[in-house]
Amino acid sequence: MAAIEIRNLVKSFGPVKAVDGVSFSVEAGSVTGYLGPNGAGKTTTLRCLLGLVTPDSGEALVNGERYVALSDPAAEVGAVLEATSFHPGRTARNHLRILCTAAGLPDTRADEALEQVGLADAAGKRVGGFSLGMRQRLALASALLGRPRVYILDEPANGLDPAGIEWLRGFLRHLAHDQGAAVLVSSHVLAEVERTVDDVVIIAKGHLVRQGSLAELTSDGADAVRVRAAQAADLVPALEAAGGAVERVEDGLLRVRGLDPEAVGRIALERRVALTEVAQERSGLHKVFLDLTEGR
Amino acid sequence: MSGLVRAELRKLFTTRLWWIMLLVMLVLVGVGLGFLIAFAGVDQNGAALPARDTAEWAEIAWSSGSSGGIFVMILGVVMMTSEYRYQTITGTFLATPRRSLVIVAKVVAGLLVGALFALAVLVFQAVTVIPAVTLSGGELSLSASRIPQISLGILVTLALYAVFGIGLGALVRNQIAGIVAAVVWAYVIENIFTGIPALHSVGKWLPGGAAQALMSIDVDTGLGRPEWLPAWAGAAVLVGYGLLFAAVATATTVRRDIT
Repeated sequence: MAAIEIRNLVKSFGPVKAVDGVSFSVEAGSVTGYLGPNGAGKTTTLRCLLGLVTPDSGEALVNGERYVALSDPAAEVGAVLEATSFHPGRTARNHLRILCTAAGLPDTRADEALEQVGLADAAGKRVGGFSLGMRQRLALASALLGRPRVYILDEPANGLDPAGIEWLRGFLRHLAHDQGAAVLVSSHVLAEVERTVDDVVIIAKGHLVRQGSLAELTSDGADAVRVRAAQAADLVPALEAAGGAVERVEDGLLRVRGLDPEAVGRIALERRVALTEVAQERSGLHKVFLDLTEGR
Repeated sequence: MSGLVRAELRKLFTTRLWWIMLLVMLVLVGVGLGFLIAFAGVDQNGAALPARDTAEWAEIAWSSGSSGGIFVMILGVVMMTSEYRYQTITGTFLATPRRSLVIVAKVVAGLLVGALFALAVLVFQAVTVIPAVTLSGGELSLSASRIPQISLGILVTLALYAVFGIGLGALVRNQIAGIVAAVVWAYVIENIFTGIPALHSVGKWLPGGAAQALMSIDVDTGLGRPEWLPAWAGAAVLVGYGLLFAAVATATTVRRDIT
């Protein structure tokens, strides 16, 4: 049984289909990135999963059950939805203690969770004076209270500085890889999660466009060779004759598919063209992401 | 369930609004008592308040606390609407996905807070009204007069007004709109229907009229004696409103998408 299972999820708000037939699953021990541009339907999917929004059809299950049917949700699922869900006049510690009381957890968990996210010094301060990054950490602390094994995080890197993003990366990988938790983390900024996730699910306009391991997705279309030469144009017929698909990127720069750098080098030698650059090109996930979501 | 009620009480007592409301309520009740003390026995256009040393005056003064209902109602409105205003409702429903339990906990917490406010106002009245009567040479027997009934009326009224506020808050969700609606209701609409004798046939069925009936406040304000329901019927009407508002809170909250 997958830790998170979403099957044919459909949700409309009025005439807008926010999520239209999305299915994917998240296994324990891995970090899955749920990626897509703003307005793609990520938040709606996660809110359906957490019982805050009722789907029109389809299922969203955590540990095989609907969230609202969980007997002790805090002990099974930790969720971060937005960094704004705090009463500004309440202290960080009191915010967490209220959640502890409602979930039947001892008050001591509040301070322990604050310690874990590096907010111990701000425990007694009112949340109104917190930076966005501190609010994100506090939101994450609320997810940790019940020591759950499933984490559902909506844009947790929003508002974090580079050091904070680095910290979050280590923290999420620790939860998944060392503690065996299932982590689902959404983002519209690929760079934030590129080095954090093991698997990727990409959504655009409510539709799932791609899912797979990070390695699979980044290797897509990675076999292009960059070729730079002053007389690049002279090379094109020979490269095509040898079976390469040539793309003229700009004056003096070609992108060749179907040939490896050695073959390109040999052809250049035969044609007596001096190469200034020849390199295997690895298209980053970023390019895949843009291609898939913008429907190039 | 007790954990959820304690969580709701903690929500209220970890922010500052509750003691500001308590203070404002006591100040306003105090101002009202001040007028009653000052104008006791003074003739105004033929109608006069009873003299300060009479049991009748003590009963009228003792009922001042019922005007605290509006503050408790505002507190109830805020208990509900601040969850939407600050989006803490998300965390609340994540911790307790069965939303009807959250509403029940809020209603119970509201009843407790209302009762607490009632106790505060009763203590405040005791330390002002009792000296006022005795210093004027009167005698005040708390058990022989209708003061126990009035005290009970204040307790029930304030506790239930918190529930009215919670129901209203769940219905409108906007904090300002909820507070304005509560103030307009309590100070304008109810005052019109319970203050003007010709409208008493409607007013006696409103929460304010029912609360007056429960306390058996039938003072002639110069416009004729009001005709309230019997005390037991007043109590039943109040509890009925409480159940109605709790039902409204549940119905409007249970299925709504939280986006």
